[in-house]
Amino acid sequence: MRTFRLPDLGEGLQDAEIVSWHISAGDRVVADQPLVSVETEKAVVEVPAPWSGRVMSIHGAPGDLIAIGEPLAEFDLDETKADAGTVVGDLPQAPPISKRPAPREDGMPSRVKATPAVRALARKRGVNIAAITGTGPGGSISLSDVEDATAQTHAGEFQPLLGARRTMARNMAAAHAEIVPTTVSDEAIIETWPSNADVTMRLVRAIVAACHAEPALNAWYEGDRRARLVHDKIDLGIAVNTDDGLFVPVLRDAGNRDETELRTGFEAMKRDVTARSIPPQELQGQTITLSNFGMIGGRHAALVVMPPQVAILGVGRITTEPKVSKGKIVASKVLPLSLTFDHRAVSGAEATRFLMAAIANLER
Amino acid sequence: MTEISLVEAVTLALSRAMEDDERVLLLGEDIGLDGGVFRATAGLVERFGTDRVRDTPLSEAIIAGVSVGLAAQGFRPVGEIQFMGFIYPVIDQLVNHASRLRTRTRGRISCPLVIRAPFGGGIHAPEHHSESMEAMFAHVPGLRVVIPSSPHRAYGLLLAAIRNPDPVVFLEPKRIYRALKEDVPDNGEALPLDRCVVLREGSDVTIVTWGAMTVEALAAADELAGEGVSTEVIDVSTLKPLDAKTILESVHKTGRCVIVHEAPFTAGFGAEIAARLAEKGLMDLLAPVRRVAGYDVVMPLPRLENSYMPSAERIATAVRESAAYA
Amino acid sequence: MQADEESPDKHAEITFAVSHTGYLGPDGTVEEPLPEFARDASALIPLYGAMVLTRVLDEKAVALQRTGRLGTYASSLGQEAVGVGVAAAMRPDDIFVPSFREQAAQLWRGVSPKEILLYWGGDERGSDFEGPREDFPVCIPVASHFPHAAGIALAFKLRNEQRVAIAVAGDGATSKGDFYEAINIAAVWSVPAVFVINNNQWAISVPRAAQTAAQTLAQKAIAAGMPGERVDGNDVIAVQDATERAIARARAGDGPSLIEAITYRLADHTTADDAHRYREDAEVSAHWKEEPVGRLRRYLTDQSVWTKENEEALLAQVAEQVDEAVEAYLATPAQPVETMFDYLFEKLPAGLLAQREAAMTKLTGQGHD
Repeated sequence: MRTFRLPDLGEGLQDAEIVSWHISAGDRVVADQPLVSVETEKAVVEVPAPWSGRVMSIHGAPGDLIAIGEPLAEFDLDETKADAGTVVGDLPQAPPISKRPAPREDGMPSRVKATPAVRALARKRGVNIAAITGTGPGGSISLSDVEDATAQTHAGEFQPLLGARRTMARNMAAAHAEIVPTTVSDEAIIETWPSNADVTMRLVRAIVAACHAEPALNAWYEGDRRARLVHDKIDLGIAVNTDDGLFVPVLRDAGNRDETELRTGFEAMKRDVTARSIPPQELQGQTITLSNFGMIGGRHAALVVMPPQVAILGVGRITTEPKVSKGKIVASKVLPLSLTFDHRAVSGAEATRFLMAAIANLER
Repeated sequence: MTEISLVEAVTLALSRAMEDDERVLLLGEDIGLDGGVFRATAGLVERFGTDRVRDTPLSEAIIAGVSVGLAAQGFRPVGEIQFMGFIYPVIDQLVNHASRLRTRTRGRISCPLVIRAPFGGGIHAPEHHSESMEAMFAHVPGLRVVIPSSPHRAYGLLLAAIRNPDPVVFLEPKRIYRALKEDVPDNGEALPLDRCVVLREGSDVTIVTWGAMTVEALAAADELAGEGVSTEVIDVSTLKPLDAKTILESVHKTGRCVIVHEAPFTAGFGAEIAARLAEKGLMDLLAPVRRVAGYDVVMPLPRLENSYMPSAERIATAVRESAAYA
Repeated sequence: MQADEESPDKHAEITFAVSHTGYLGPDGTVEEPLPEFARDASALIPLYGAMVLTRVLDEKAVALQRTGRLGTYASSLGQEAVGVGVAAAMRPDDIFVPSFREQAAQLWRGVSPKEILLYWGGDERGSDFEGPREDFPVCIPVASHFPHAAGIALAFKLRNEQRVAIAVAGDGATSKGDFYEAINIAAVWSVPAVFVINNNQWAISVPRAAQTAAQTLAQKAIAAGMPGERVDGNDVIAVQDATERAIARARAGDGPSLIEAITYRLADHTTADDAHRYREDAEVSAHWKEEPVGRLRRYLTDQSVWTKENEEALLAQVAEQVDEAVEAYLATPAQPVETMFDYLFEKLPAGLLAQREAAMTKLTGQGHD
């Protein structure tokens, strides 16, 4: 670094006023290039650069008085400008290699060979395009392939589900995805029942008895936490079938209410369900469910356990069967029972004992 | 009414334009007494004088550069470049100046010039006389590229180009300079620029093309009609700005598109049209968009010329292959 | 067309001389009798003021670039006399067709300092001159504007207007086809044009000696069939004198001429260039002794028409003018994004409306109809 001081301008002058700078700090100049115009008493004088090099800094602004010998500018005589590598514009510099993102490699998924118009048609027809074998060029799926597939599988168009059906579709899928269903089934001989027996209430009583015998089936299970809540109360859901779909109103605290009260309560619930006036709370909170599907038909069934419940008792159609009693074949009225349970939370022994307890109560 | 050819329609349009507007003048090599090497300017110097029909020294850059200066001063110069093979020095003046003078001066100076050139192959000409590089011009912002395909359209589109306040490259398909004749009334009516023309309606496949290839495309369409394939043929007409709407509407109807151009396949203007279809017409497509084009080779000398250029047969094959996507 | 009557195919004896005009020496002393317009020294003061304005604006532009407030800039340091001399010889309704280093002439012609800063600052409005409405904007592709000047001059001739087109380009431009093609057609069509070569001895890093084997650049005019002469480009009197004579010839219908104005590029090619890489500092220092502004100042001072007070006042006035322009430039915000589209055609084609919309709303898609 060299300091350039205001040189003697002659004629006995001691100082000069800066009028204007011709260069800026940072500029590269050559010797004799005018650096600054200064005003003396006699004239405005251009002060030339003494050396070639880079002016690192300048001293004084227009209007300032500089004495002879005072610093005017600092020079760096050796430094050259960093090579811009261009004569126009600014070239962006590459980031350090470590900072550059690694190139991505994407795998190519395999695709169905069908043009967008063909896909659109398949969607419209509700046809699964991936299942179609294409007869178009290159094995692609053509419009007529889609039409053919439509003709084979469906007449008409898909209608989106609404209301209770939609709910059923959603809930069943969710339940199936979560629980581990296992079913044990058996029969109760109900030959001794009076002809006017209240089947539903007897089933309710049997379930209550079974729950007392094996409380494990009157519980809620949360798979995420692997945690179980065994209930004291029995809030029994009873499946009720209507034109609008299946509803499961809840008979609260079935274990502690008398039968008459349970019956009237159940009738009221059935009316409300049919009238679609049942409040949502009445459809929630089941701890165990009864489905007497036998009223419509069928004997044994593996029903769907709705989490967080762990059990559902299915009851089939009452039939008269030949059974062996005291060594003799006797025509007997038989009530088939199927107990489906979530085997994550209930063991086979618990389930079987529950079922036997229910049967024992029914056969009394 | 006499029927005239495409090149005669060019002459008719030039004389009409010069008659109606004294600012129109012509520059080019051999366009005066010789009437232009294709006779496109025949008779004009006799009618309008050497001030307005000017033979230039041999310099394409000058034809364009002087036109820029004249246009900036309010004239309407129409420069003729003898063959597209000689047009490349003009690109500097078109890209660096004509196409951008208006925008870079914020409208203070504009450049209403027309550069005309015969283009395309099929006349058994020596090297460099059969080029099709329209895509180069179509790529330039601020430039219009217009290609007529019939005498009637040559007349109307050239008038429109001359009257347009911005620069136009007007490429004349020389293969059909004289091959078609039709009645062209000298009524001074310009045809709209920036618009495709539907030459033939159809329902199964859309052919999109321009210039001399329209003739091949229509011939292919005739052949295919006999096979029960109904082909729509669109003449793009103004390549830039492209009337994509007409093309998209047609492909919405047919679902299949074959683009035909003489110019080499890669990065030809067909690629732009195919991209527009992919962007806005994808859901209508039943078949891949096809391009039937010149090969990516230097245009061969005349002996192999016909093997290079798309023929009605090659076009029909591509259309059939498209139609197979049923 | 008529063939040359004197045996065009036989041995031709063609000799030529290239004259050189200069009046003031580097130290400001008069070396040749001054032309009429310069005999009253005070008449030269506007020329001096214009050169000072050019230089001060130029220094300011370089400083702005260094502080990131101007784009790449091509300094005209040392070449002020060429521009001022040429422009001072023109009438307002003549037309100027510049290269990219003609700020001096542009300023004299009425382009404002703010417009010059806007242009180099990257704003098209810098070319929408309020003053000389028909002058051409800066031309970057070297020599490609010479054909424009020929076309403009042809327009004047066709309309019988007494106007002249003047184009200026550098020494490098004389190697380009466009240069020769333009002077060729200008001469053969005898149009009212003047072509000036602002020979600053350097085309980026290529010195004049490596540009052509021709002894002078002016003699290239002879190949085109028009007069060519040289002037001392650092003597504003000589430049104005030669240009006036050339313009008079053109205006009188005697066709175009070429003037080679010899000067020196005292700065780098542009603010991004570093001339130190290819030329010797000693050479540049030597040329500082011949620069045009100090030369004229010395002459005017010697003629007692210019005092210290005049100098101060001028510097103060110029500084104020330049500062005002800088302020106005810095205060000008960038144009709205849609202006990229709005001046492309007289009427924006429908197909571009969607893109314009997309640019305005910064959608990621391109947008097409």
